[in-house]
Amino acid sequence: MAGTGKNEETKTLAEEADSLWLITFAGSIWAVHFLVCYCATAVICAKLGGDAAAILMLRLALGGVTLVALAGIAFVGWRSWLQWDFLDDGDYVHNLARKEDRHEFLGHASFLLSIISFIGVIYVSLPVLFLETCQ
Amino acid sequence: MIMASTLTGAAPDSNNVYPPTEEMLAKPVDEAATRRGAEELRETWKTPKGFRYLTAVNNSEVGKWYALSAFFFMMCAGVLGLLIRLQLAVPGNDFLSADRFNQFFTMHGSAMMFLFAVPMFEAISILLLPGLLGARDMPFPRLSAYGFWCFIIGGVFVMGSILFGVAPNSGWFMYPPLATEAEGIGSDIWLLGLSFIEVASIAAAVELIVGVLKCRPPGMRINLMPLYGWYVLVVGGMILFAFPPLIAGDFLFELQRSFDWPFFDPERGGDPMLWQHLFWIFGHPEVYIIFLPSIAIAAMVVPTAAQRPIVGYSWIVLSAVGTGFLSFGLWVHHMFTTGLPSMSLGFFSAASEAVVIPTGIQLFAFVATLMVGRVKMSLPMLFIAGALAIFTAGGLTGVMVALAPFDWQAHDTYFVVAHLHYTLFGGMVFPLMAGVYYFYPFFTKKTLSVRTGRIVFWLMFVGFNVTFMPMHFTGLMGMPRRVYTYPSVMGWDLLNLISTIGAFIVAAGFVLFAIDLLRPRGKQPLAARNPWKAGTLEWSHNVPEENWGSRSVPYITSRYPLWEQENIVERMDKGRYYLPDAPDLKRETLVTTVLDARPIQCLRVTGPTWITILAAVFTGGAFIFPTFHWYPPAIVSGGAAIACIIYWLWTATSQIPAKDKEMRDVGLSLKLPVYASGPDSVGWWGVWITMLGDATAFASLVFGYFFYWTAKPDFPPAGTEHALAGPLTLGVAALIASWASIYGARVVNRKGKVATARTLLIAAPVLAILGSGLFYFSVAGSGLDPTSHVYPAIIWAVMIWTIVHTGGGVIMQCYCLAGSLFGKVTPEHDSDLWNVTLYWHFVCLTVVVAGLTIGLMPRVM
Repeated sequence: MAGTGKNEETKTLAEEADSLWLITFAGSIWAVHFLVCYCATAVICAKLGGDAAAILMLRLALGGVTLVALAGIAFVGWRSWLQWDFLDDGDYVHNLARKEDRHEFLGHASFLLSIISFIGVIYVSLPVLFLETCQ
Repeated sequence: MIMASTLTGAAPDSNNVYPPTEEMLAKPVDEAATRRGAEELRETWKTPKGFRYLTAVNNSEVGKWYALSAFFFMMCAGVLGLLIRLQLAVPGNDFLSADRFNQFFTMHGSAMMFLFAVPMFEAISILLLPGLLGARDMPFPRLSAYGFWCFIIGGVFVMGSILFGVAPNSGWFMYPPLATEAEGIGSDIWLLGLSFIEVASIAAAVELIVGVLKCRPPGMRINLMPLYGWYVLVVGGMILFAFPPLIAGDFLFELQRSFDWPFFDPERGGDPMLWQHLFWIFGHPEVYIIFLPSIAIAAMVVPTAAQRPIVGYSWIVLSAVGTGFLSFGLWVHHMFTTGLPSMSLGFFSAASEAVVIPTGIQLFAFVATLMVGRVKMSLPMLFIAGALAIFTAGGLTGVMVALAPFDWQAHDTYFVVAHLHYTLFGGMVFPLMAGVYYFYPFFTKKTLSVRTGRIVFWLMFVGFNVTFMPMHFTGLMGMPRRVYTYPSVMGWDLLNLISTIGAFIVAAGFVLFAIDLLRPRGKQPLAARNPWKAGTLEWSHNVPEENWGSRSVPYITSRYPLWEQENIVERMDKGRYYLPDAPDLKRETLVTTVLDARPIQCLRVTGPTWITILAAVFTGGAFIFPTFHWYPPAIVSGGAAIACIIYWLWTATSQIPAKDKEMRDVGLSLKLPVYASGPDSVGWWGVWITMLGDATAFASLVFGYFFYWTAKPDFPPAGTEHALAGPLTLGVAALIASWASIYGARVVNRKGKVATARTLLIAAPVLAILGSGLFYFSVAGSGLDPTSHVYPAIIWAVMIWTIVHTGGGVIMQCYCLAGSLFGKVTPEHDSDLWNVTLYWHFVCLTVVVAGLTIGLMPRVM
């Protein structure tokens, strides 16, 4: 009943809170990973730029951060894949006025976003893999 | 972020029905009721006539003014572009002096970006969104109007400076030290005038985001929303995170220009690179802020042209959101040649390549839709096709310049000029032109000439390529940007001459377009109601024009209601759906839930007024007078602006309905409350979103602080004073106590303990004033001289930023106290208290972070 619409807002948002977070998670992990890489490199290069050992440490640490980020995104991707539930009904259009379509659509969108973010993290970590000095 | 649900004084009514059954929708409406409803709506939504026309706040009026002004500024900037091309047509030309040339290219870029591209997106969205969403109007019509008046005042001021020969002349990105040292008031005009316009942009972003989230028609779940809505959401979000860093940068820059605080002066510890970072953290997302809404137009035109639903709805949502994220990791690719560590360059180069993926996906989705549909090559589709071709070429050169080693060669040459014009013409101008042709019947109920339109297209398409294709080569041959002339021996003569000829062909296209756009159409017959046989809701508009937006607000169960929901237009016309009348002659629209669009409120929206114009004029004064160092009138003007805004809020927002008018029968057996507070109300969402932007600006200031620490060995300088620990700690504590008081006031007021709430509402501003005073003294009393070095300067800047916010908070707390005393805030009607408390959550966070940054960090470092 719409009279309870005010509670409805809170209820649906609570129900979907997980999937709403989910849709932002993969991109946010990419953003955090990007910022950590950029800030750590900026600080280390500015303060300890000539120190080869420090840069090696930096690269190893960022490598670790990258693995954690990729694992996180993979987890988000897996969760959204479950939410999308593609294999169950094969729906990838989600154009019906049903709760189920809204729910699966959010899963689908965040699954795709995880793929993009996964690729994005790999791209951004390539310089750490290949470059051995700051300059 | 989502707080507990709130009471609104109205008990749920068990007779309410939602969703409506097909039986209810099929029931015919009484003819007399239809007629009566239409008359009431017509009376309620009528546009003021004559001189009072200027007081209109309806989205259709404000949107038109906005769009036409942005178009006017675009033509001005276009003329500057032509003059630039004339000067460069032949080597050794003396048509323009070097200084005038500098002013022209600076204003060409600045105006195209700030006075055309971004405002045009806002204008088109304000015009379109209510139609797309079957809403009566945007949730905050007066805010749109205020934004427009700010924009036009600021725009005329900035653009007008060129007529007096005092325009900014340091390039559209205002790099220091060139721009900080520039003589005259040009840089100040740029900084203050455009900051003023950025305020308008953020206002529009708030309006659009809340509109998309809360004003969708009942049933339009988030998976059914038109793609344009998704794009607006993403772009609004990007504006909130992209513009504030620039505002923070402007703030520091103007402090240096006006008071000699050395933020960008290396001799006193400053660093010009900070400006480049702040500018491009804004500047690169800006490119996508321009591009995405135009692509959104393509996402509306393409399904119509193909006469079928878009292929890959989820993929397009993904690419919009994905582009939104990635676009914030690109800014340093404008700074590849500044000597940053190559590893850092690598990150940005990689992200710049990655953003191609989501950008490409949406183009493929369009092509796929066209392939599986039966395409009619209508005029709008022709422009979309041109856009795809040009944008793809621009995207490919983008992939090239995103590689640092290539960029080192091409940086600051005409290759980059060619690249950016290909992306902006293909990504913005052509889709926009498609949009104008496509939506013109919706905006004006008349059509543009198809024959002229085809000529316009070919003039623009051919002219564009003739102008900018050769620039790839002039660039690769080494011609730098922004030179006012060049010697003949360089071998650039012919290419430049070709470019100039091309520019005039493009201009001819625009002139022809402008004539067709603006010529009187009195005798022309009205356009068909749905001339393109489109499927989205805006084509249910009324021909001839009615001002009510939507005759009745429909119940939506599909993505393309006009294709997939039988009888929908007929039922809307008859007033079968929601809000078919306006018995109280009050402007209303429906508010629905964010995810599933269940109706929760019948929102009273504001009507015509002079106060928004006055508020904009005074706000303008507060920004414009400082350009000439006239501070007293600026302060008076700022005070008057605040007074106007308080009057506007007090008299028109969160009005308590009469006892028997708490619930409104919106039709289809549904009664909705008229008043809402907390997360149910649109105002709360507006504050939330505004403060998110504000927090981003503050974060940019703090970023500046840490940037200096990273980049400068003498930050903080040895033996310097620090902010006084005692007063600072006490000040922060008092401000936290003030936050606790306002929060407590909201809680106890809701419980009905009005007297306690009032006591807390008196304590809150007293504590805030005390805390602000102590905060100020901890810096001002410490002997830190902001002109001596960047360290004291940034501490002063953080302090000023903080106490301006606590000062605003004091006014709001007093507003709530007055509300409680004069019956505007009651235990059941407390939306003002909710909104002010929300503001104070952010202020509290700002205070704590500021305290730690200026008090604790330097002692730890």
